[in-house]
Amino acid sequence: MKIKRYLSIILMLIVGFVLQTTIFGYLELANVRPNILIVITAASGFMFGRRYGMLAGGISGLLMDLMYSDIIGISILIYVFIGYVDGIIKQFYFKDDLSIPLTLIGISDLTYGILFYIMSFMLRGRLGLFTYLKQVMLPEVIYTVFIGLFIYKFMHWLDSKLYPPVEVPLE
Amino acid sequence: MRKRTKMIIDPKYVLIIVVVMCVLLMGVSFKFYDKMQPIRAAVGSVVTPMQNGINKIGTKIYDKMEYVRTVKKVVNENKTLQKKIDELSAQNRLLQQEKYELDNFRKLYSLDQQYAGLPKVAARVISSNPDNWYNTFIIDKGSKDGLKVNMNVMAGDGLVGIITEVNKSYSKVRSIIDDSSNVTGTFLKTSDNCNVSGNLELMNDGVIEVTGIDGNAKIEDGYEVVTSQVSPKYLPGILIGYVRDLKKDSTNITQSGYLTPAVDFSSINMVLVITQVKESEDLEEMLGK
Repeated sequence: MKIKRYLSIILMLIVGFVLQTTIFGYLELANVRPNILIVITAASGFMFGRRYGMLAGGISGLLMDLMYSDIIGISILIYVFIGYVDGIIKQFYFKDDLSIPLTLIGISDLTYGILFYIMSFMLRGRLGLFTYLKQVMLPEVIYTVFIGLFIYKFMHWLDSKLYPPVEVPLE
Repeated sequence: MRKRTKMIIDPKYVLIIVVVMCVLLMGVSFKFYDKMQPIRAAVGSVVTPMQNGINKIGTKIYDKMEYVRTVKKVVNENKTLQKKIDELSAQNRLLQQEKYELDNFRKLYSLDQQYAGLPKVAARVISSNPDNWYNTFIIDKGSKDGLKVNMNVMAGDGLVGIITEVNKSYSKVRSIIDDSSNVTGTFLKTSDNCNVSGNLELMNDGVIEVTGIDGNAKIEDGYEVVTSQVSPKYLPGILIGYVRDLKKDSTNITQSGYLTPAVDFSSINMVLVITQVKESEDLEEMLGK
């Protein structure tokens, strides 16, 4: 059990959530704001594994659902699912590589958008997937990946401070 | 001696458990919406003070940035405005005459009673929905300031939305441009009823949908739409916006078009809450109980 890592993820999620609901309202580009929660969820899944991804996803979803949606459970489901899938891809984790995590964050955000669209828009008969894709999902993906770069780097730095890598002498 | 390994559940099964629980939760929270209120309130009372604090800092920084930006604009505007002042002062004289007439009409229609007589409470917007799908926001007044669910929210002179959830010190407002919002409106000039509904697809164009207007109604672009007398939740006579691009529907029975809201939704900081719930609500409650 790496308690410090769990705690750091929870703390980051709460701070991220607060920032996302407040300051990023002023920093909107093309009418969208980045999805910080998905960045943290995807990054924890990818860096630390399925368990952490699901934890981060569960908390993100819970925060979103309790504060902003009418039905509790939709966001939790989506976030946990994304955290889990990103956890599977942990086997490709390589410390200095940035292209895989960033692609992953982008795909996660897109998946989130599409799942969310299906669960709460398509089922209400709003069928214009492509307009939503163009207006909401793709701009959000681009912005999120951009912000995700910094958050991923930060998480990396934080984790290496919490758990310094052990050097194994070559013999 | 080997240490006994701790029991660790495979993440696969955790996922399945979580999924099942979520589906159950969805059902439960859908059915017992009111019962979940204490849980929401608990989370809210932790998060909203943080949001409130950060928002204050954010507003300050934003204001500074805006200040620099606006100074440049203001210099240019000043020139054009100077010209306008001359034009307007001429118009003003005309308007003053018309105002005298208007006052008389007001007395006739007793419109001022409906609008100016409403009790209002000012509230500050603390945070907006972080998701790009919905248009709800949170204001810093709650049940201890006398707010109730279904109270109408205005900004400036137009309708902003309706309170959907009230907690002790904050409440949630769903704006009329939200995709799931529906308002019954009426045209001030022709008193034809219509249905104003938010639409995410149109939101970037700054308009929302108007549907269900009588096919024979003679309505031109720019006509004012106000909330209707027959609306169950919205008080009558609040300005919603201005209609444009009306077209006959394929059925030929109704017309539909777009509506430019009277409120600029991209920059709402302060709102007015009308602390009067439409009476039909009370009636419904009484009948229900």
